[in-house]
Formats: sequence, structure tokens, C-alpha cells
Amino acid sequence: MAVSDADARVEPGSFRDPGNRVFHRRGEVLRGLDERSTRDWRALAASDFFRNLLAAGKVCGTEELLPTPVDLPWATVLRHERIPFVSHPYEWSYGMLRDAALLHLEVLRSAVTAGFTTKDGSAYNLQWRGATPVFIDVGSFEPARDGEPWAGYRQFCQTLLYPLLLQAHLGLDFQPWLRARIDGIEPEQMRRIFSGARRLRPGVLTHVHLHGAMQDHHAHASTSDVRAQLRAAGYSRELVLATVRGLEKLVRRLDVRPGESHWSDYQRTCAYSVPDRRAKEDFVDRAAEVTVPGLALDLGANDGRYARIAARHADHVVAVEQDPTVVDALYRVLRDERERRILPLVMDLADPSPGGGWRGVERAGFADRARADLVLALALVHHLAIGRNVPLAEVLDQFAGLTAPGGTLVVEFVHPEDPMARRLLANKPDGLFPDYRREAFERLLVARGRIVRRVELPSGTRTLYQVVTGG
Amino acid sequence: MTHLAYLDAGSGSLIVQAVVGGVAGAAVAAKLYWRRLVARFRRQPTDRS
Repeated sequence: MAVSDADARVEPGSFRDPGNRVFHRRGEVLRGLDERSTRDWRALAASDFFRNLLAAGKVCGTEELLPTPVDLPWATVLRHERIPFVSHPYEWSYGMLRDAALLHLEVLRSAVTAGFTTKDGSAYNLQWRGATPVFIDVGSFEPARDGEPWAGYRQFCQTLLYPLLLQAHLGLDFQPWLRARIDGIEPEQMRRIFSGARRLRPGVLTHVHLHGAMQDHHAHASTSDVRAQLRAAGYSRELVLATVRGLEKLVRRLDVRPGESHWSDYQRTCAYSVPDRRAKEDFVDRAAEVTVPGLALDLGANDGRYARIAARHADHVVAVEQDPTVVDALYRVLRDERERRILPLVMDLADPSPGGGWRGVERAGFADRARADLVLALALVHHLAIGRNVPLAEVLDQFAGLTAPGGTLVVEFVHPEDPMARRLLANKPDGLFPDYRREAFERLLVARGRIVRRVELPSGTRTLYQVVTGG
Repeated sequence: MTHLAYLDAGSGSLIVQAVVGGVAGAAVAAKLYWRRLVARFRRQPTDRS
């Protein structure tokens, strides 16, 4: 069903279930329901389990718009709480994906116990308020039909369980797998990866090998026939619960920490003097204080030190860091603090998330999602400009593009004489970056905004700029 | 009434859930296969006629 209202903008990631669709109108996140989904919603809204999940913040805030807007082609319209920053599973760390999987299973278990189920089991059913996961797909709930297994099991395996198994058992970063395939990893591929003795790792024999073999064997059987046969053979709600509990037990067991990496000790080893660090913290604090950002982005966030300073003044902070291990460590600390305003994400800024899925818009690319009132780019320019050969002008274009018009960019320029810059330059031929100079950098900054503050750090080899973008 | 979900749950993905559901689940799976087997033998005479 189309959304006809001129003000309404359909959410490109919400079309797979034709019975309901998310759209945006006048700054609100709305969900239109057809007649059948309306009946499911009425049952859901009257249930205790749903009320409890809402009250605990485990499902995103949802209320029905009354009276139903007559200018929209839906039987019912729901209004959802706005998620501060939409992220994709391939931008999460291992611990985040695992906690998201556990929340999905918990939500499903509550639903099944109350006679409901979820129509699907996708990692995209989950989002984050800071370091706290939240189940967002309210349209996924429906009353369960007796004798039917969980329809979302395959999707759960492909987008949540398999990526976890890859990382926990083999130490492979799961993010590139999920980024490349919107529907996740197929059992067939997993069977090839988990061959030999690897079959014996927890969860692999059943959820990977048996699952894959069953898929092959029953490839020509229709799901409606199989559902009827299972019902006739006595499949029951208790068995659905047993499966969910088994999955929960397995995912809890997969409690590993990604190993140490070059970046995990960066704050300690990156040769900042105490006066430099204090000056930098003070600079960031003052910039955030005068900006009062709704959304702040900390690019190259490392252990989140500056994201936390920004969070003193910002409603929400997204801390972007390329190293999954570092992000995972930050996530665990934030989670244990029950932090709800700082969202850590895994992303390489020289290769940020592109648009994905149907027509490349089903999952919006990072550049299309990020318009921040405050952007921090500290100790980052030299890594992109020297380490990755990105021209300085383009580095600044990226930062300016992520900043809302009139927003503030805080950027650090590490002079070519700085020990860190020298270390990076030593890996490249002499004279490869003749424009990597402070004067050239400042000229490029002025072309993109107004420098309102500039501070030289005590070491004398680093300069901080506060720039109001767009003139 | 046949009720189909919007998502293709996958026939194999449905049956494997019986098997991973412990002893009771395995019993359901065994019953399903037994019924299929019996149905096949029962069908044969009529197929020939």
C-alpha cells in the first residue's frame, strides 16, 4: 500500500511485510497498519506481556494515533518513539550483536509465553538507545497459531546466530559478512566454513549442519504442508519455548571478547603529554558547551574519552571507531554503566557503510544518516591523509558533509613534525604529501566554514580548530 | 484455514526446530517422518490403479 500524503516519506527499509509500513511525517515516526495487522495490534495492545516490555523499555515506545488520520491509506496508524541514531548490525561490535540477539530471544520468549509470536527474527528488528538495545519491529508481533514453529528461526540464524558463531568459534570479524549480505549468512556457506572438527563446536552441529541438511532435503516441500504435518505430529508451544530457551543458552555461552589489537592500547601509547590531553579535553568541552548539540559525532573515538566529554552537553553521541575490538571494549564499559546516550559503532571512515539492500536504499549509508550538530575529528586527519592517502580537501569534505549546516566541527591537525605524523610519513615515499602542511589545511578549512577558535597544544605539534561550517 | 506468513520460513528451517527442541521435539520429528513414510506406502496401490 502506498502512502499518498505529500508530507509523508516512506521508510525505505520497511516494505517486506506488506501488512504494515513505517513512514515519517512532520518529524514523527509512524507505522501504518492494514485491516489484518490492525487486528493483531488490538490483541497486542491488550496484552500484559507487551505492556511489560514497553514499560521496561525493551520495545520501542508505541502508541496509537487517535482518531486515525483520515488522510492516510491505513486502517490504523501507530506513532513510535524516535530512535536517536539508526545503525545497522554490521556497525555493531560482537558484544552488541550478542546482546541484541539475547534481547530478541527474550522478547520472543515473553511473546510465546503469552500466546503471541514474532513473524520474523532479523537483526534489523533491533536498534539502540545509547548502549542499550531496543526491539523496534512492533509490526512483527502476531497471535501465535498452535502447533507452528517460529517463522523467524532461519532469519535469526542467518543474521544473528551465524555471525556470532563465526566470531566466537573462529575469531572472524562478522561485520563484513553482514554488510555484504542483507539477509545474512546462508547455512550452506556456514557448513563449508565449519567442516571437520569444527562441527563439534557448540551450536554448530544442530543449527548449522542439521539445519543446512534439512533445508536441502526439504527444498521442494512447501512451508504450508510442513506446518500442517508438524501440527498433526503434535508440535506444540512448549516446543517453541524449548527452542527459544536452547538458543538463549547457546548465545549466552558465546561470551567471548575479541582479542587485543593495535588500537586497544592507543590512548596509553599514543604519546600524549598530560598538558596536551588536558588542553584538548578543555577545548572539546567548551566547543560542546556552546554548541549544545542534539547529536554529536565522535569520529575515530577510540576509548570514547571525548565522546563522554561531548555527552556532558549533547543529547546523543555516536562514537565511531574502526577497530571492532576497541568498540567492543567501549561498548561493554558503557553497557555496564547503563549509558543511554553514547552509541559506539564500528566503522572505517575511509570505507564508511554504503547504502545496502534493495536499490541501495533499504539500509541507508552512513553519510545519509549522519547530520550532526557537533562533529569531533581528533587525531584523525593524519591517519586518513597520510595513512590512507585521502587528499586533505576530501578529508575535510567528509567531515563537513557529516556536520549539519551551521553545525560545529572540532578538528585536530597533527603537524608533519609530530612524532605520530612522522611515523606514518616514514612508511610512504619522501615528498608524497607536499600539501600536508598547516597553512594548506587552514586554507581548506576557511573554504568550508568559519574558524571561531584555534588552540595550539603545549607540545607545539598539534593544533585544534573549532569551525562553524557553511560560512 | 491456511495462514502463510509474509516471510518464507523455509521448510527445512521449520522441521529442524522440532529436532533441536529436545527429546519431545525429536519425537515430533520422528512422528512426522513416520507418517510421511506410511502415507507413501498407502498411496502406492492407488497410484498404480
